[in-house]
Amino acid sequence: MKIPHLVFGLGLGLLSMSAQAQETIKIGIPVGLSGANSVVAPSVVQASELAVEQINAHGGVLGRELELIIADDESGAQGAQRAYDSLVFQHRVDAIVAMETSAARNAGLPIVNRGQIPYIYTSFYEGKSCSPWMHINAWVPEQQVAPIVDQFMNELGAKSFFLIGSDYAFGRGMLEFTREYVEANGGEVVGEEYLPMDGSDWTAIISQLRSANPDALITSTAGGAPNVTLTKQLRTSGVNIPYGNYAVDEGTAASMGSDAEGIYIAASYITGIDSKANAEFREALRAKFGDDTETPNELSVPQYEAILAYAMAVEQAGTTDAEPVVEALSEVTVEGPRGSITMDKQRHAPLTMYLGQIQGDGSVSVINSFENVDPGEQCPQFAE
Amino acid sequence: MAVLALDILTTAGILFVVSSGLLIILGVMKLINFAHGAFLTVGGYTAYSVSAAGYSPWLSIPAAAIFGFVGGLVVERLIVRPLYDRPLDAILATWGLGIVIGQLITLGFGRGVQFVPTPLAGTTELLGVDYSAYRLVVAIVAVLLVIAMSALLKLTRFGLNARAVIMDETLARGLGIDSTRVRAWTFGIGAALACAAGALITPLLSVDPNMGLPWLVNSFMLVLISGVSFPSLFVASLILGGAQVVVSTYANPILGGMTIVVIAALVLRINPKGFSRG
Repeated sequence: MKIPHLVFGLGLGLLSMSAQAQETIKIGIPVGLSGANSVVAPSVVQASELAVEQINAHGGVLGRELELIIADDESGAQGAQRAYDSLVFQHRVDAIVAMETSAARNAGLPIVNRGQIPYIYTSFYEGKSCSPWMHINAWVPEQQVAPIVDQFMNELGAKSFFLIGSDYAFGRGMLEFTREYVEANGGEVVGEEYLPMDGSDWTAIISQLRSANPDALITSTAGGAPNVTLTKQLRTSGVNIPYGNYAVDEGTAASMGSDAEGIYIAASYITGIDSKANAEFREALRAKFGDDTETPNELSVPQYEAILAYAMAVEQAGTTDAEPVVEALSEVTVEGPRGSITMDKQRHAPLTMYLGQIQGDGSVSVINSFENVDPGEQCPQFAE
Repeated sequence: MAVLALDILTTAGILFVVSSGLLIILGVMKLINFAHGAFLTVGGYTAYSVSAAGYSPWLSIPAAAIFGFVGGLVVERLIVRPLYDRPLDAILATWGLGIVIGQLITLGFGRGVQFVPTPLAGTTELLGVDYSAYRLVVAIVAVLLVIAMSALLKLTRFGLNARAVIMDETLARGLGIDSTRVRAWTFGIGAALACAAGALITPLLSVDPNMGLPWLVNSFMLVLISGVSFPSLFVASLILGGAQVVVSTYANPILGGMTIVVIAALVLRINPKGFSRG
């Protein structure tokens, strides 16, 4: 008698689960809770939770509530495969919104292609990643490089550049684009050097930099340790030329203090953006998380906006079916903390970029802003 | 040329400083201390704690040495001593200890990068070039350390006992030398050197839970080809560190990162005793 009861109970449980699944719209969030991205992941999770709470407070989408399913991608390819498998084929999520490393994205994309669900990638990256199911609302090299190089060449009169990076796809991709951009604008790259990701001794590279005697320096290292060791060793070697750094964000700058002073950064989000949407967003974060609020940043804000974009796309399509939602994602415009953003340029988004310089107290002062910088030719196959 | 020479000298200095703690433990105790990287990390966090508490960054180095010495004595008594008769298990235990220390640091300070103020910023002029003042300080510390550690082994009672234990532990015990005590002190000194080195190199590095790890492999290689002699460790650091700088400068830094490991393997293949004369 006991066994049939158990089976009956299980069946009932499954029934109620599937009933619930029909009610909520599930959004999968693969994110690096462990590994390299674990420092930034909490802010991304908070941004996602805030977006879902706000949408549900306004009655959800198509009368259904949104539900988040968060999976740890361990900041790498193997973890991402497990996370995507579980999200797509076990949880049967309706969409994936992911702030993660390029390695994790590349590992997850084939699974998204098999599962055929809408996918929004929300981390800045090296560009030219294309999938019929993917949209991207963060910057690519075309948008990041121009503000810094233009400032150095036009305002500071720099002609020769030295480039230093970590030896991985993003580091090399960014610097290769920088080289092309510098040379296309009549400048010269006098050196381009890389150190492995786990390398911490920049001695030889810094000596080469000093002997090349360039007008400006641009670095594209992995975030965290490599970036900090390079900056510290540059400072102890007395390198004082204009210094643009693709790996520093506001949070890092604040904790680096005087070591980061004078560094130029370009970003699509800076906490000091003076807009109503940004003020409301920051207030809502603080109201929800109180003292545990993580400072919003270049990676968490696009995540927030991407979930809003997905909700709008589903509303516009009138369904969660993948194809109409993906189509709508190229059309909807989100009014978010970064301004109004539409992913209508070959699945990428024109963005307003801010050029900032880090001050002695670790704050970032905005020197210039560039409206709607075009992402360029990323995925010509999706051109309108 | 002057820059290259200074790069080689200071790189060798850094390598020597981070390897010396490993050398003395391997020499006296015949124990490869895989927790060495974690000890370096502990030194880095000691430096961070000292400067966060508002004391001068220079104080962080002696503070790390004292903390390392006491911690080393405790670790030796609790973990290493019970495994003296099982050398392979002892090595595994130090590996595990390294992981535990790394996790404790993560629990206490988080995964993020911590920042320690630099005690000496900027450059100084030497041989006609402006060069990082702090790197020169590290090189001077390395030279002083060679002299101090050689003196410790050659001129003190502890050194005499330690050398006796190195040569023949059974005989040394027969002569009334308390080898257990020698081992305990050695481990304490080794841990103190590692922690002090960790604190010394923090102005050049980021302090994070894995900061010691990249140094472990290079230290290990240098120590393997040096035997139990601080002068020969310095020579090994100079030659292999120099090769690394030269390859990084004239070929590329990615190859440079492998230079020490490759040369050490070649040296051991040709002459298993490496650079040691003993």
